[in-house]
Amino acid sequence: MSNNFNPAPGLPDPLSMEALQSLAQEQLSLWSRLGYVGLLLLAAMATTVVAALWITEPDLPLRTQAAFLVMTAIGLSWMAFAWWVLGRRHVMLARHGVVAGRMAVIFTALFLIGAMVAVYISVNPAAFAALWTGIVMLVVAVGLLLRANRRFAQLTERREALERELGAKM
Amino acid sequence: MIQSDTTEARALEDELLVVRCQLGEARAFDQLIQRWHGPIWEYAQRQAGRDDAARDIVQEVWLRVFRGIAGLRDGRKLRAWLFGIARHTWMDHLRVRYALPMDHETDPDQITADQTPEDLRYEIATMRCQLARLPPIEREVLSLFYLQELSLNEVSQVLEVPMGTVKSRLFRARQLLRRELESEGVNV
Repeated sequence: MSNNFNPAPGLPDPLSMEALQSLAQEQLSLWSRLGYVGLLLLAAMATTVVAALWITEPDLPLRTQAAFLVMTAIGLSWMAFAWWVLGRRHVMLARHGVVAGRMAVIFTALFLIGAMVAVYISVNPAAFAALWTGIVMLVVAVGLLLRANRRFAQLTERREALERELGAKM
Repeated sequence: MIQSDTTEARALEDELLVVRCQLGEARAFDQLIQRWHGPIWEYAQRQAGRDDAARDIVQEVWLRVFRGIAGLRDGRKLRAWLFGIARHTWMDHLRVRYALPMDHETDPDQITADQTPEDLRYEIATMRCQLARLPPIEREVLSLFYLQELSLNEVSQVLEVPMGTVKSRLFRARQLLRRELESEGVNV
């Protein structure tokens, strides 16, 4: 490691190995990613419920419709924010993708079960709207989990091939 | 043959490190930092000319590396990718973009073919002392090609210019370096 670093007196050297490793841990933290995945899922489910009620309830007063519109917009904004963070700031590595995929499948499956119970208890349009949305979200979550597993397997296979090839060259 | 084997082994090692990082192995990121922090720091310090600016650049470079490595498709291009990020970060700090005209009288393909091994050894040995005096573009291309040992193709990717431009800049940079050395009474 180079000796060209001269930290200011009394302050931690921002470029020391320890500082960079700490930065790496912070940037690559699984928990921060799962937090944003959870935010995305909860925002999606809440937005789904609010939008389903808004669309299916007849003869709502104007101010109630306005309130539903605002809540739907807030939910969509949180979804967009979480999506942006996961795409730009806390990008998923392969291991993260598998864990996040499993989390998404579990959450959406629970949501779907809740929607099925709601349909069973009170056969109303809002419950059916939530049910169909739950099915779509579960299908998407399963697709994302399968894709994450596939990527993880491909990278693992490539790592093993490279290790064999490098071992053979030594 | 030996050099191409070494180059091939280096490319495989780079790719393995990238694959391990993309899998999410914490130790791989430690190795990435250990291996590349020194060269990136040297590059930033050489380009920025000041330690405080170099620190800002290097810290930003690593942030971009951690965020972007999941999307690196060809791990063999790791070093070109890293120095490309370093260069973009440096340019963002500078906020100045300029280009110099190509030297159309010189045959670009002869530029690097004319060098003897003795020429190369002498130039590398004295280069570190003289680089700071050169203009930024010439300093950068010499640093990437000789000190960071990137290939012409990799330098072309980092600088985002055609390979002919890289060769012309190398030729001009070597000419400037020679003039600097001759002005100090050093025989080259």
